[in-house]
Amino acid sequence: MSEAAVKTKKPSKVNARLIGDLAPYLGLVLVVIVFGFLTNWNLVSGTNLQAMSSNVITTAMCTIGAVFVFGAGYFDMAIGGSLCFAAVLGAMATISSGSLFIGAIAILAVSLVLACIKATLASFVNVPFFIFTIILGSIFSAIVLVIMGNETTLLLKNAAKPIPEFSFGQMSTISIICLVIFFIICVILFQFTPIGPKAKNMGGNVFAAKQSGISKTKTTFTVFIIGAIGIALAAFLLMIRTRTIGNTTGGSLGNDVMVALVLGGMPLSGGPRSKISAGLVGAVTITVLNSGLTMMGLSTGEVQIIRGIVFIIVVLVSSLSYRGKLLPR
Amino acid sequence: MAQRGELILETRKLTKHFGPTVALNAVDFKIYRGQITGLIGENGSGKSTITSIAAGMQPPTSGEMFFKGQPHKPSSMIEGIECGIGMIVQEQGTVPGITVAENIFLGEEKKFGKVLISRRKMQAEAKKVLENIGLTNVDPAAPIESLNMQDRKLVEIAKTVYMKPEMLVVDETTTALSQSGREIIYDIMKRMRDDNKAVVFISHDLEELMEICDTLTVLRDGNFIATLDKEDFDEDLIKKYMVGREMTGDYYRSDFDTPISDEVVLKVDDVTTGEGMLMNFSMELHKGEILGIGGLSHCGMHELGKACFGETPVLRGTVTHVASGEKITNALNAMKHGLGYVSKDRDKEALVLTESIADNIISAGYDKLVKGPFLLPSDTKKYVSKQVKDLSIKCASVKQDVQYLSGGNKQKVVFGKWMGRGCDILILDCPTRGVDIGVKAAMYALINEMRLAGKSIIMISEEMAELIGMCDRLLILKDGQQSGEFFRSRDLNENDIIEVMI
Repeated sequence: MSEAAVKTKKPSKVNARLIGDLAPYLGLVLVVIVFGFLTNWNLVSGTNLQAMSSNVITTAMCTIGAVFVFGAGYFDMAIGGSLCFAAVLGAMATISSGSLFIGAIAILAVSLVLACIKATLASFVNVPFFIFTIILGSIFSAIVLVIMGNETTLLLKNAAKPIPEFSFGQMSTISIICLVIFFIICVILFQFTPIGPKAKNMGGNVFAAKQSGISKTKTTFTVFIIGAIGIALAAFLLMIRTRTIGNTTGGSLGNDVMVALVLGGMPLSGGPRSKISAGLVGAVTITVLNSGLTMMGLSTGEVQIIRGIVFIIVVLVSSLSYRGKLLPR
Repeated sequence: MAQRGELILETRKLTKHFGPTVALNAVDFKIYRGQITGLIGENGSGKSTITSIAAGMQPPTSGEMFFKGQPHKPSSMIEGIECGIGMIVQEQGTVPGITVAENIFLGEEKKFGKVLISRRKMQAEAKKVLENIGLTNVDPAAPIESLNMQDRKLVEIAKTVYMKPEMLVVDETTTALSQSGREIIYDIMKRMRDDNKAVVFISHDLEELMEICDTLTVLRDGNFIATLDKEDFDEDLIKKYMVGREMTGDYYRSDFDTPISDEVVLKVDDVTTGEGMLMNFSMELHKGEILGIGGLSHCGMHELGKACFGETPVLRGTVTHVASGEKITNALNAMKHGLGYVSKDRDKEALVLTESIADNIISAGYDKLVKGPFLLPSDTKKYVSKQVKDLSIKCASVKQDVQYLSGGNKQKVVFGKWMGRGCDILILDCPTRGVDIGVKAAMYALINEMRLAGKSIIMISEEMAELIGMCDRLLILKDGQQSGEFFRSRDLNENDIIEVMI
């Protein structure tokens, strides 16, 4: 076949796609500037940065893992419930055994079991997945209430053997190391192994993915397991940092993950525009937003309303751009 | 020059850019009432772009349009149809999840009740609308998904005609239709012309255009090339205008005496598919053979292609990869044994439209590309570049989204997926559907090269000329069963095949 000529012109305007890629970072800078100004720059004070860094790390762990799940087209609304379930059982295991290691194993095991339940439903039951996750989120929370009985919190200080306590510096080091390692592994899995492309293919067009020989079952289990590892890491770090786990742990995390992904520039419908960086950037932005709103003296309810409005605005603006469909139908 | 009716649409210096790609380059174009104007050009020539701008699907980058003498800037298809321009698009334009009647009257429901909509009245009216275009076998109360591709397309046509447009654009619609479906649309176009309305007919079927149209406008690479009146129609001249070089003669195979190998590579044994379209069907595919599968719509030929690739449930019987003796039961298993499948419905089943050309091409080749668990960018780049070069895919960059490519270039990307894998058995379901003459010729040459390299091909097609011209052997299906078998011959003609097809 002869080489066909391609008629092109040099772009005279700034590339729209480049703007789209930079938008999440510009959004983060904007949020920092706006809330920095509104809080007399207390937002970026040393104390608040320390507080925010802990929240960023917890949210980012879940959000980075969720990029795989949402990227494959699964709208998981049970992330908060999964984290709470894993954290509670992990805390119970830690307290009864007096071993942080056993607690960590319990958290990971519970998280993986929950991921396998989700993956099984997503793979084999022909019902839109988000419907399951709405129900699963409620079920997980209800089971936690049943397990905890009259208790509202589990305290590690009540463990059978003393559980080591970490200073803020030690805790920050552990958290940052975990986040960096998890982020790098996820970037490699997403960009330099077939896992990421397969997930994006499935999220983009499940029929085409199937006809390209991509196994829906294998890919689904893989993405949920990666997501579960993120949730387990977040639950473990939360447990050793706060040393207190309750039935409201991770309560707003499910929403935070969704808002973070959108703020990070990823469509919740998944597909080719999914990217790991969206998880990290979005987690930072949502944490700054939450912190800024709280520092302005807004009540929890008011914070939720404003977060909802920001979410809708970002979805609207994004849906007007080249990105097209941002939310699953 | 033939006598023209009243000017209805005029474009002046109409230009459209998609990123760095120039889809339309300052095109001046005129459409007159009382005529069927054919629009022809290679894939990517700008045919669909210019009409979609006129219909309000997308805005131009620059230039002007005048409709009935007034400046025309529709911001949506709804505004386009309100102005009087109706368009039937190349791909599926019906809304899933609702009935045929609800599709026809989408947005017009108030006609059937202000508070409660009378479905009975709506369905009765829909029946009239369908009958108006000669579609009598479609139940207006049926869910749209229960209809096959042709009937869905005809419902879409009925809906557009119901809007009573003054200018109708028929964009690549006939490629999805059988002869009976085509007759319906030809009749609609002729009726509109006789009513002093305007029709723009886009097709890659030159014979069809020359027969139906009063004038033909040729576009190439986004540029206006020429407009010819009916008395000036000349096939070779039009082809020359389209591709920019002389294109005469036949682009099918010229050999007729090549023996078929005795070696069987794929065996279909007494297969009945889950949807009941194929019943107790058996066949053998030989090494280096192009096996044609033809028939009318609903004959089961498309299901046969899917069954061979393990993509449709098989109730009874087996599809066997002969060399390994293994049964083909799913796409993964089929690919493991060197099978590839080019779907008829490329946008829905074969491509991720929002994904790049590169990512689409590698999507069927991860197992070929991985080194250990890793996909190395250098290997991926080499793999993709080879397909883009070998198949002459027209693109600004391999990172470009597939959705912005023309139909022919999209089909090349689908071919690239399977060429990259080096498949030994390729199942091609309507491989040249919606592609222009230049791409068609290139694909035929490619298919022939693959045959000469010892690869086996199942070629399912609704175009008899293509089957006769390319295949070593031809199986005709009727009601899910084989109704005839033909071997490659100079004497084989369409009449022989139609005899067993109907």
